[in-house]
Amino acid sequence: MRNSGLFNDHVKRLLGCLAGGVVLALMVGNQEGVQRDFGYAFRAAIFSPRLVVFLGFGLALFVAITYWSRISPYFVRPGARPLAAGAAAVVASYGLLHWTDSNQVTGGKLGALSSAVSGTDGISSFTRTFFGSVVPGTPWLLLVVVVALGVVSLVLRLPVLAWLAAGLGLLVGVWGYIAQSAVSDYLKTADHSTGAQVAILGYAAIASGCFVIARSQTDQADTVGFIERVFGWRPGFPLAVLGTAVGLVALLTATWFSPADRNPHLSGMTNLFSGEGLSAISSAYLSWLVWVIFVVALALAFAATYLSRQAFSWASIVIGLGAVVLTLTTMHEFSSIGGKSGFDGANGPWQNIGAGPWMLCGAFTMFAGAGWIALRQGRRVDPAAPTVVAKAGSNLNQVLIIVVLAGALFYPPTATQFWQTVIVAEIGIYVLLAIGLNVVVGWAGLLDLGFIAFYAIGSYTTAYLTGTLPIKPPDWLHLTPLAAIPFAIVICLLAGLALGAPTLRLRGDYLAIVTLGFGEIIRIVAVNADKVTNGPKGAFGIPQPVIHLGPIHIQWGQSALQFWYLLLVLIGVTVLLFNRLEHSRLGRAWAAIREDEVAAQATGINTTRVKLLAFAIGASTSGVAGVFFASQIGYINPDNFLLNNSILVVAYVVFGGMGSLPGAIAGAATLTWLPEFLKDQVPAEDRQMWIGAVILLMMIFRPAGLIPAKRRAAELSGFDGVKSAETVAVPAGEGM
Amino acid sequence: MTAVTSTAPEPTATNPEVVYDVKDVTLRFGGVTSLNKVSLQMHRGEILAVIGPNGAGKTSLFNSLTGVYTPQEGSIMLAARKGDELTSILHDPRFYGARKSTATHLINRHGVARTFQNIRLFPALTALENIKVGVETRQKSGPVSAMLGMPWQRREERESTERAYELLRFVGLTARANDLAGALAYGEQRRLEIARALGTEPGVILLDEPAAGTNPAEKRELAELIRRINVEDNVSVLLIEHDMKLVMSIAHRLVVLNFGEKIAEGKPADIQRNPAVIAAYLGTTNDEPEAATTAQPEPNTTDLDSGPAAEGDES
Amino acid sequence: MNDFMNFVILGLTRGSMYALIALGYTLVYGVLQLINFAHSEVFMSGAFGSYLVIQSVVTDGSSPPWFAVVGIIVLGLGSGAITGAAVAWSLERVAYRPLRRRGAPKLAFLISAIGASFFLSQLAGKLFNRLNNNSFPTYFNLNKHVIDIGGVTVSLVQLIIIVSALLMMLFLDLLVSKTKLGRSIRGVAEDAPTAALMGIDIDKTISRTFVIGGALGGAAGFLFGTAFFFSNTMGFIPSVKAFAAAVLGGIGNIRGAMLGGLLLGMIEAIVPTFPWYKPGFIGTAWTDVVAFVVLVLVLIVRPSGILGERLGRAA
Repeated sequence: MRNSGLFNDHVKRLLGCLAGGVVLALMVGNQEGVQRDFGYAFRAAIFSPRLVVFLGFGLALFVAITYWSRISPYFVRPGARPLAAGAAAVVASYGLLHWTDSNQVTGGKLGALSSAVSGTDGISSFTRTFFGSVVPGTPWLLLVVVVALGVVSLVLRLPVLAWLAAGLGLLVGVWGYIAQSAVSDYLKTADHSTGAQVAILGYAAIASGCFVIARSQTDQADTVGFIERVFGWRPGFPLAVLGTAVGLVALLTATWFSPADRNPHLSGMTNLFSGEGLSAISSAYLSWLVWVIFVVALALAFAATYLSRQAFSWASIVIGLGAVVLTLTTMHEFSSIGGKSGFDGANGPWQNIGAGPWMLCGAFTMFAGAGWIALRQGRRVDPAAPTVVAKAGSNLNQVLIIVVLAGALFYPPTATQFWQTVIVAEIGIYVLLAIGLNVVVGWAGLLDLGFIAFYAIGSYTTAYLTGTLPIKPPDWLHLTPLAAIPFAIVICLLAGLALGAPTLRLRGDYLAIVTLGFGEIIRIVAVNADKVTNGPKGAFGIPQPVIHLGPIHIQWGQSALQFWYLLLVLIGVTVLLFNRLEHSRLGRAWAAIREDEVAAQATGINTTRVKLLAFAIGASTSGVAGVFFASQIGYINPDNFLLNNSILVVAYVVFGGMGSLPGAIAGAATLTWLPEFLKDQVPAEDRQMWIGAVILLMMIFRPAGLIPAKRRAAELSGFDGVKSAETVAVPAGEGM
Repeated sequence: MTAVTSTAPEPTATNPEVVYDVKDVTLRFGGVTSLNKVSLQMHRGEILAVIGPNGAGKTSLFNSLTGVYTPQEGSIMLAARKGDELTSILHDPRFYGARKSTATHLINRHGVARTFQNIRLFPALTALENIKVGVETRQKSGPVSAMLGMPWQRREERESTERAYELLRFVGLTARANDLAGALAYGEQRRLEIARALGTEPGVILLDEPAAGTNPAEKRELAELIRRINVEDNVSVLLIEHDMKLVMSIAHRLVVLNFGEKIAEGKPADIQRNPAVIAAYLGTTNDEPEAATTAQPEPNTTDLDSGPAAEGDES
Repeated sequence: MNDFMNFVILGLTRGSMYALIALGYTLVYGVLQLINFAHSEVFMSGAFGSYLVIQSVVTDGSSPPWFAVVGIIVLGLGSGAITGAAVAWSLERVAYRPLRRRGAPKLAFLISAIGASFFLSQLAGKLFNRLNNNSFPTYFNLNKHVIDIGGVTVSLVQLIIIVSALLMMLFLDLLVSKTKLGRSIRGVAEDAPTAALMGIDIDKTISRTFVIGGALGGAAGFLFGTAFFFSNTMGFIPSVKAFAAAVLGGIGNIRGAMLGGLLLGMIEAIVPTFPWYKPGFIGTAWTDVVAFVVLVLVLIVRPSGILGERLGRAA
């Protein structure tokens, strides 16, 4: 009886796995048929020998699941997870990422680059060997060897092998990195590729995993404890280490200036600019000052974090930020001079700057951040501090905040034009929208499927106030886009109240359909009310933002980067304000009505008011995003505000982790980045299918999202273990 | 077991102030009459217990008193805090919410706090935060000042934290301040719910079967806690409870409901001898007849308790 | 007046399709209290599945005898229903059951359904095509007027849709009210834990509920494809409407879904006949606005739909 049940389970699982294989075969199969022959792609996928391979995948999955109980003890051993993560990163880097941006190499991935390089004589044999001139597929081979060594040492507990794997891994990583920079030197094109960087990071992870394998013989890895020890030992110290690494790469191997045919490192800069009229301080900076500053900032950061003296912390912050400013002025100067003195393809201020100085700025920011963390650590005695935030993770969180900040500030300039546009028009705007919707969905627990309507209202408000709609504002109300922000906030606030007041007493799903209807109504009005909104054609020529404030005079519009920094300010301010809100009495009231509305009411919370506030605050954030969108893109029409977008924003919030600010940001960033990333990997039309699959898998395996809210995570585990809740209830009274 | 036998001191006033004045309240659901012409008066400073077999209408009475249900007939007058005037909660715009019917949160703001039969905390908030939610419903600062971190908002935040810690100490949960409410033990959750209710600075607190599902030691603690709420905080207590020992030991007066009607009212000793009450318990809780028979002679060893076993599956 | 009646017929046609889809939403909502957002793709897959079958038995432009036409239509309905049922079943296994096992929050289900919906519609696009005007082979005259009473006309396709939809709804109603499966569905909808104690296999019941809803949705896909067109993105708009219809009637309530569907179809058809409706000034798109406004008004008056939301009670 028991056996047959087990057998049944196995058959079911096998069938499921095989079905999964078939679906995968369909997913990577041929493209669609024609109108008269539907079955074409279907037949091609199902009735070709290729299917056997995918059935094999299914079978492998079946075996893995069935024997998981035998595999998993190895997987929880110390070092196994870094090893796996590193291997995955290297595989991704080899298989998915760009290794060069040169248009001489089609696709720019490792495979194409390898075949190109191994046939080129002008490159050193050291480099060519890595790319497979001797043994084809060398990078993959090396990866397999390193990982196999690591796995064997893990299973058999052979420290010697683990040391070998660690050393070999590091060597291979460095080799690949050097080989790639040699190639991009040879190709002499601006290089934005990330493949080699990710690969070396992956190998570093592998090496550290092997290092742990060699050192630790316990059966159960204590990852959380390890992270706690590392980040709690000297708060901010890891950041100083990271800053040092980034800074050294910037100073030694990164490109500093990249007009056509010239890609000098820092060492080549002095030569390039000698006699071009660089100011004394800049030329000093480029030749020796930068090193001095780097060493001083580095030393201060280490001193501040290690000794945790306030004086050092302050000095570290001041020097770090000063160094950023100095680097920026130098960059401005040498790029303008480069433009004036006519280097080939140099376009003037802020153009053609390589990744080096930006990375250095990032490193200096990290040093300053390390000082800041050390400073905060010194005086953290705040009784009213938010108590939900676990103390253990907060050091790690601070480090992450600084790294994300440094990345947000200094990564975009090093990206390609294409990615800069994506970062602004897709990622940034949807991050702002997700932050707004998180208030409604995540905090107050109200499902809003018409959120994009407020975005539309914000956009159309901007169009109206800038006089680009058929109806014109009175003269005194003719505004620039930035001045429209307060108006958009107020109008969206009112719209949120107007929608919320009659509908908010509806329960979850009813509210969902009503908000969905509201979103559609707004769009239909925009399509049909020709005389007000210009119908399907929409509004054209919405001006770009300007600031005239006394001597300050900023005009946006030349590049996506300018908009990015504007957006970053908007996002930063919103995050700061909302973070306070989450831990205020209103934030707690939201959590209360989300958890138990009846109890919240009996405790004296005016639920209607609190819900309305969530609606209004969420809506006004959306309005700000709308203003930005309209003025950045310059034209809007109703097609920008489809129901689909509303649903997507909800998906971003939940994917990231409902009710968590970092989660909403991460969710929106990931899911808006993914389609652009997939452009290189799968046929363009298939992208949505893959995104759907990713969302589905995420919800199946991690329903709480990427970065779950602390509060929500608790709810989830409580929900999960009905049994455990009962066992708590039985021995009542033993708690005290 | 004898620790709880002494009756609590009664409020001394000879002409007691009225907190709740309930007159001829009738509540129907469809054809079922849940409360039938129930009248009672609750005085300031007293512990009044409502007892009765399951389905007698006790919780319906609570829900009518807190505005969850609106009775079809009768009147309910409230003057929860000292110095308040008696006002009808059924027909006074002060208690209207957006929907022109009595709103529970407004009743709460007029000084009536309650707990629930099946504990209703906010499980994903910490114990401290649960209480803060209650305390903060009395505060003024709005979202804008919270976002900007205005000084008055910070002061309120600090005050609510301090008050919440005081209440945690009061109910003996200081050590669990930062644990999630959902992770607390059952008895702790009960006490936390009481603390949250006290956070709203009530003049009256309504406790719906606070001892359900707790063990004897906890029951003693609870009785002590209720008495302290009554004496130290000067809060009038309206109590629904099945545990007769607990009720008899702490209540000043009792009201007995059966089938939605009030069948008796009076001091614990009188109620214990009341034939109608005994009949009600005998007639309805047929699973525990011996409990009712022992009720007659010796008041202090009485156990009219319909028992934690019967309660356990309810909660 | 005749015009008006013709619009009523049109409304009935649309409405019965909405009702068929709405039933899928409502059945799933009944047992899981969740909106099955991927139901639109069940509907879509019904159209493609039945197309593959129909295409293989009949050539475009042929005119088989009437009994063959009936046979083909039954075959189309059947294959659509089977495809729909299969997709719905897999959907439950892949996108819902693992989340149920993990006790995921409600919104996670919504999002996994949205992911599944993206996935299915794009996979269909990849496997078949991404054109938006596919049509079934013509094997009978769709627009032949079978009934013509004083200018009130009913075309053949309208008759087919209305009759087959009504039959299926009747069948479902009997299934839910009379059979053992129907009883267990109602039991789970009413109170899943208790149903489980009574020996009802909840997983199986939920699975079967999906299958029934999926079969109706798939059949609706065939009918929709026959009457209009089909494409890999055809599901979205009718499904939003059907969802609204389910809510309008009271989600979770089977007769409510039927009523809501018919009502919504009717509103959409009738709005343009109003004397103040000027098609020159405002396009037909305003019907959606009117439909949603009606929905909001109904919900404000009756917050849980026209017939209320109990699957068990109304069926």
